[in-house]
Amino acid sequence: MDVKINKEGDKTLVVIDGRIDTTTVEQFQQATNKLMEEEHPDIDIDCTALSYTSSQGLRTFLMLQKSVMKHGGKMVLRNMNPQVKEVFDITGFSNIITIV
Amino acid sequence: MKKRFNPIKDKSSEIIEYLMSSPDIPDDEVLQFKLRLSIEEAVENVVRYAYDGGIGWLEADIHFDQNALLLTIELRDAGTPFNPLEREDPDINQKAEEREIGGLGIFLCKKMMDSIEYCYEDGNNVLTMTKKVNS
Repeated sequence: MDVKINKEGDKTLVVIDGRIDTTTVEQFQQATNKLMEEEHPDIDIDCTALSYTSSQGLRTFLMLQKSVMKHGGKMVLRNMNPQVKEVFDITGFSNIITIV
Repeated sequence: MKKRFNPIKDKSSEIIEYLMSSPDIPDDEVLQFKLRLSIEEAVENVVRYAYDGGIGWLEADIHFDQNALLLTIELRDAGTPFNPLEREDPDINQKAEEREIGGLGIFLCKKMMDSIEYCYEDGNNVLTMTKKVNS
């Protein structure tokens, strides 16, 4: 799994490539920790190459969403594959995280 | 095929890959996704919680019934008796602020598999999950 984070003006662009599972979740958490320190974050996450997430990945997305809300910002997840989207749908995460 | 892993501390990935590499796993990406997710959540549940400190064993068994077209995955451990199916399902209609971090793993197994059963047998926790495979 690979996480790339780029700043473009006020926007933070994140690209996730691979699986978020028991072996990679810590790496994903560490990468997103930096995003939790920002005020008024504007985070755009490209999930085109995110092939899988377990509940541990969902937890990290939830923590990130809570942090973004607390800091008065916004976060969008884009281009999820249907299987990953189903995991977000089943767990109700599609209702609390913006997915386009 | 069946294998006993001992000890299981930090062995989640090895146990998951053992089950996913079985010839009984169907050659279907969507089904593989659901099976991997269910296996990971169920295995993690044992590795993290069954034994205090993770010192203990887990037996992973996978087999396919050709007549019933039914794939069965069984996890057995000798840890603290615990029925994960008794845990209340998370409320999926809560707002982000109210959602708790946790309780999603076994819920996902329930949703991804066709059946999931727990029993305590001969001093062991036994979790059995099945999925119908239309070949």
